[in-house]
Order: sequence, then C-alpha cells, then structure tokens
Amino acid sequence: MKLLIGQILPYITVTLFTLGILYRLGRWAGARIIHNITLSPWLQNNTQVAVRIGSEAFLFRNLFRFDLALWAGAFLMHFALLNILGGHIVGFGFLGEQFALIPFLGITPELSKEMSDLLGTVFGILLFVALLYLLYRRLALTHVKQVTRLSDNLWLVYLLVLVGVGNIMRLVPAFHIEYELVRDYIVALALFQPVVHMELLNSGFFLTHYLLVQILLIVFPYSKLMHLFGMFAERWIVNRVYHDPAPGLPNVDVAAARAAGIGVPADAAEEGV
Amino acid sequence: MPSTIINGVEIELDEDGFMIDPDLWNEDVARALAASEGIDELTEDHWKIINYLRDYFKQYHIAPMVRKLCKETGCSLKYIYDLFPSGPAKGACKLAGLPKPTGCV
Amino acid sequence: MPEYKGMVQPVRATPEEMRKIHIEPVPDEQKPQKALEYLDQIRKKFRSFVMAMESCTKCGQCAENCHTYLGTRDPNNIPTNRAELIRKIYKRYFTLEGRWFGKLVGAEDISLDVIEQWYSYFYQCSQCRRCAHVCPFGIDTCEVTFIGRQILHWLGITPKLHASVGAAMEKVGNHTGLPKPGIVDTLEFMSEEIMDEFGVEVEFPVDKPDSDIMYIPSSADFLLNPYTLMGAGMFFTYIGANWTIPSTVTEAGNFGLLFDQYWTQRGNVMRLLNAAQELGVKKIVWGECGHGWRAAKMYIPSLADRPVRWPITHIHDEIADLIRKNELKLDPSKNSKPVTLHDPCNYVRACGLNENMRTIIRAVTTDFREMTPHGADNFCCGGGSAILFDDPEMYQRRILLSKKKAEQVRATGVGKNGDGILCAPCSICKAQLYPMVEEHELGVEVKGLVDLVGKALVWK
Repeated sequence: MKLLIGQILPYITVTLFTLGILYRLGRWAGARIIHNITLSPWLQNNTQVAVRIGSEAFLFRNLFRFDLALWAGAFLMHFALLNILGGHIVGFGFLGEQFALIPFLGITPELSKEMSDLLGTVFGILLFVALLYLLYRRLALTHVKQVTRLSDNLWLVYLLVLVGVGNIMRLVPAFHIEYELVRDYIVALALFQPVVHMELLNSGFFLTHYLLVQILLIVFPYSKLMHLFGMFAERWIVNRVYHDPAPGLPNVDVAAARAAGIGVPADAAEEGV
Repeated sequence: MPSTIINGVEIELDEDGFMIDPDLWNEDVARALAASEGIDELTEDHWKIINYLRDYFKQYHIAPMVRKLCKETGCSLKYIYDLFPSGPAKGACKLAGLPKPTGCV
Repeated sequence: MPEYKGMVQPVRATPEEMRKIHIEPVPDEQKPQKALEYLDQIRKKFRSFVMAMESCTKCGQCAENCHTYLGTRDPNNIPTNRAELIRKIYKRYFTLEGRWFGKLVGAEDISLDVIEQWYSYFYQCSQCRRCAHVCPFGIDTCEVTFIGRQILHWLGITPKLHASVGAAMEKVGNHTGLPKPGIVDTLEFMSEEIMDEFGVEVEFPVDKPDSDIMYIPSSADFLLNPYTLMGAGMFFTYIGANWTIPSTVTEAGNFGLLFDQYWTQRGNVMRLLNAAQELGVKKIVWGECGHGWRAAKMYIPSLADRPVRWPITHIHDEIADLIRKNELKLDPSKNSKPVTLHDPCNYVRACGLNENMRTIIRAVTTDFREMTPHGADNFCCGGGSAILFDDPEMYQRRILLSKKKAEQVRATGVGKNGDGILCAPCSICKAQLYPMVEEHELGVEVKGLVDLVGKALVWK
C-alpha cells in the first residue's frame, strides 16, 4: 500500500492531471465563438473586462448581488480552500517559518510557526463548516434540491471526508505530522528517490488523506471541478469590450427643419398655431 | 386536419379553426364558424365587420390595422370584443374567412 | 393535442408547412439517432454551447431568477435544469464522466420522450438571458435553448406560429404577411390619423430611391401598434430626414434567431442588405423590436455574406442622442399619466439600450416610476422569444409566465387609478402584455416608447 500510494501513484496522478486538463481545455478551444453574445451594459475597455472577470472569479460578484447566503457559503469555502492550498505549499516549503521571511515585521521563526498552525487550524475548520453548509443547501432548499444530481452531493461528501481527515491530523496531537516529514518526502519524490521507507508513510491518516487527494486530482479534469477553468472560458465569451456605433443621422439638420416648419400645415404655419 | 361540411362542400380548417382556403367562404360558412366561436346569431353589426374585413382582404391580401377596422366600421374595439369574444384578429378574421394572423400579434 | 405525457406543447407545424421552410421532417423512429448527429455537429462548433454543457456547478442561483420557474414552479423550468434536458444526453454520449458514471451524474439515453421534453421546455423559455446575467460563471442558457430549438427544427418539430412566420418572411419579407399594397394603404391611413390627432403633415415614403435613412419598423406595428408607427413617422418628419421604409423587408424582427439561425435568420439578413443597396441608403435605423434588434445589431456582422456598408442604429439611440444635444422640443406634459418602463430583455442584456431608453422616457413623460428590479436586472414579460401561443393550454402558461411582470407593475402603483401606462418598447412584449395586463387586471395601457415621443413633440 505504501509503495502504491506513496511511491507509484503520485507520478501517475501528476501525469493524468496535466494531460486531462490539457485535453479538456483543448476540447473547449476546439469550438469557436461564432456570434457576439456579449452581455450588456457593455464593458468599454480591457481594464473593465479584467475588473469584471476578476471580481466574478475572486469575489463572486454575482452571488453577492443575487443570493447573499450562497455567496457567504461559497466564498468562505473557496477562500478557506485557497488559503489551505497556499498553506500546504508555503507551510511545507518553509517549515512554517514563512512569515519570518517577511522583512521589517520582526516575526520570529517560532511565532511564524505558531501563526502557521493557527491559520491552518482556522481555515481547516472554516472549510469544513462551509462545505457542510453547501451540503445542507443541496439537501434542504427546494430549488437547489431540484437542480442537484447525486454526484453533486457525493463531491461534497468526498471533500468533507478529505478535509475531515486533514483536520484530524491537525487537531489531534497524537496524529499530528511534522512539516519536515512532508517536505523531505516531497523532495525525495521530486528527485525520483525511493520513499517507501520514510516515516511519513506510516501514518494511516496521512495515507488516506493523500490517496483521496490523488484520486481527486485524477478525476478533476473530467468533473465539475473544472469550473475553476470553465469560469474564465465562459466569461471570456460573455464579458467583452463592445463599442456602440456612433449615433447621428446623415443629412439631418433639426434646427433647419424646424425653422422651415416641416410637417406643419401651411395654413397653420401662417396663423402661428 | 379538421374539416366541416357546409351545404355539401367540405371546408378545411386549421387547428385553430381558421379556413385553409378563403375562396370557399360564403355566408353559411360564416354562420357555422360563428357557432364554433359561441356566437348565437350574426347581427347587422357582425356582418358590417365581416364584410369590411373581406373587402379589405380581397384588395390587400392582409387584414387591416385594428385601428382602421374600428374607424371604418364605426365600432369601438370594446364593442368588437363584445361582438367577437376572441377579438378582431382571432374572432372576426376567422369568421370572415381570413387566414390566422402570424407574427407578434 | 398540445400536450405530451403531461407536458404542455405549442401546436406544431404540419409536415407540409415544414417543407415550405425547406425542412423534410424526420420520421419518428429516426429522430433519436438524427438528434444525436445534429447535437454532435453543433457542439463542435459553438463554444458558448460547450461551456454551458460543461461548466455548470448546479449552484441553483438561476432558479429564483427565472420568471418561468417563478411562474410555473416546474423544476424543468429552472434554467440549469432546462439545459440539463440536453446536458443529460450530451453527458451520456460525449463525456467520460457520463459514459462511465452515467447514473451518478444524471446522464440519460436519447429517446423520443426526451425530444418531446425538449419541445415542451425549450418553448417555455423566453431566451431572456436573465440566467446568464445572474450566473456566477456567466453561463448563457439561452444558447442551449437556441440550439435545442435548432435541432428540433431540423427534426421537423417547430411551432406552427414560428414556422408560418418563417414562411411569411420568405414570401413577403415580414412576419405578418403584409404585401406592399397593404403596407402603403396602412401608412396612408397613419398619415390621416396623424393629421386628425396632431394636426401635422407626415408622409411615410415607401421604397423611395436615394433615401439617406432606411427605417425598419416591426410588421406588428401595421396591425396592432399604430402609435409606434405614427411616432416614428412624426420623429423623422420633425427632424427633416430623408427617409424611407423598404417594402421588401418591412420587418424589424427576425424569428430565425428564435428557431432557425442557420437558414431563416440568415435569409432575412440578406434581404435587408439587398434592400439597403437598392435604395442607396446611408444608414439603417431599427424600430421597436427586442429580439429583432439583437438579431440585427449583434448577428448581422457574423451572418452577412458581404461587407456591411451601412451603420445600423436603433431609433432609441438616435432619439436619445438628439435629446442629449437638446435638438428636440418636447412637452412631457403631453404624457402626464403615471408610466413605468418594462425593459425588453434583448435591449438591456444584449444590446445596451438601458440608458438611452431612460433618457427618452424622462424627457417625454412627467410621472415616470421605475419598477423593481429594472434595467439589466429586469424580468421578461413572459412572451420573450415569441412564445405567444394562443391555444388554451399554452395561453394559460403565458398567464403564469407573466406573473412576475404583473407583480412588478403592481408594485409601482402606476395602475392604481386605472389610467397607468406600461411602456414596453418591443413588439413581442406588446403582443404578450396587451392581453396580460387584462388577465392580471393591472389598470395600465401598454405603449411603445416612440409612441410617447410622438405625442410629446412640439412642432411650432
């Protein structure tokens, strides 16, 4: 099991994930934007386009405008997720001492580690709670229930388990895993060295967490999770710059027409009606 | 295709009860169509409107603007609705043997 | 007849009528297979469609934002579920997840029942794009309805209303089947009416060679909307324009957009360009028609078979421009009844007319009240995409589909004394709302925007 999950599967995962994403993006690019279906009011320049797409992608503008509760749940979930992904990278990369690297703040490596722990704990719990709320919506709100397919719920349950296992490792001291162990493992993996003997792989929780992540990555390109990229591909179709043709009618001089009294019957014009 | 036999002539109608061939129209057909619209008796005012529509259609191959129909026959739109409960287009035109109006009407 | 296994459906065109618009209906037993072929062909072409098929997360936001779902509470009328009627087939045949985990993701085999489902629900959608407007990803479900209707059309399933309009467009160049003598007679009648009511001399030149401006009115104006026609005529006369109405394409609408973009829509575009060339015009100005304005403004560039030499603007663009330049003398007290504005979907979400309509209405009325929500957030009238069916079952649907609009109008209070005006500057909106304001007893009269401009013009 250690050999499969820890040594062999990771290479397969990375390959399938990359190829899968390329396949899916290629599939989208293969079909073209035929007609101009931009949504109005028009965006006038590319800065506005960037702001619009950015605010939709990173702040969930439309959810905020039309469904505050959904916005809160979705935004918290994605914000926590983003921080956790980032936390995994810098946390393992710098062993939790990343904040000490920021100049002029005077953060000690010990403080940085504590901050890292705290942030990880908070976002881990937040993510779990937000996912629970999204699942609750799917089960409880009529109109959401009506659009939900089994797979939508399964994804949420899957993520809850994945995040739950992660939280156990963080919150239960007995199952805690030191940053160094993970860093050394990743480095060894990247250098194509044998890792099966490493202490990290003795943790059942880690293996579970790790396996779930790898399955997720393999399935990712073929699933609804691709909305991460779909978001930009779709917005690129409907949020574009458009300039109206200039108004103004050829050979029209309103003042002259009015002075000439066009349309006003001759007798009425004389009487000055 | 639904149809009805009037005076021994088979009159083809579309799903909404409009005549397929306006040339087969005669007063008896109008009376039969009136019955299908729930109009018991065709009064003088009914005929005035039906005849105006037929004349206009014969000349222009289209129904007149509703406003023109009202003006030329001296009937208000409300009165036309009283006479033909389905209205000028779907009631009066049908009885006059005009095809069903299409488009955004 | 307009029902299939409990689903409402519009009356269909007969095979004979389909042949008139160049479609040979596919026999029932071949329909599922053909539908798949057409779907495969189209999905490879339109990215907007692929994205709608592949990037929805089912967050459910579109549900409460769709007037069709609000009015009917039918789960299949939730925009993403309506798209799912095709998506379930798309998944089953064209995606890995659907082929491997069909049950989990809701994939389904194609069948005649599914096709009948398409016919029912794609003709309850108004293609108003409010779902695209509110979707966090901007998924344009209207594209799915377009393509669903296109496939149905190729299979030989098209509502009688749309098919007969398609045939009329090809025969005379407009939706209502108006031949030139009828056009001229109605316009002469309009001149007389203008003289009677406003005391001004307005001529409506038809096919006048070497005109500067070609005005494209909605053909429905010739039957039902006299003041829209009068208003346009008075406006062009007032500003002293050298203008004309082409008899070969007296139609601002283009139902092709709504059921057959491949042939019907394209055909009318060519007709328009021919007319512009023959009459030697310099600019084309569009009349009040929502879907038609979208078809003209946004689709002519990608559908035209030659360079388009004529700028095309909407009459509201031009009126608003002259109002801003202070060139029109307007008396808003001529329209002193309380008035609210219904935003035609295609104007505000597809054609950017939002501000111009408001510039005009504020200048020509004294008691203008916005409805909530308004502008790009406004709801459809319930008739959008010409689902103006009048058989009893579909007519009942139309009442449900306009429920949200009725609530909005009521909330403005304009009809409280029974003398309000509901300004709805689009022929489909007008045709839908004329009977609907009665059904919902709103106490308002439906008018176009150009109607109000015509009344407010000060001539002397």
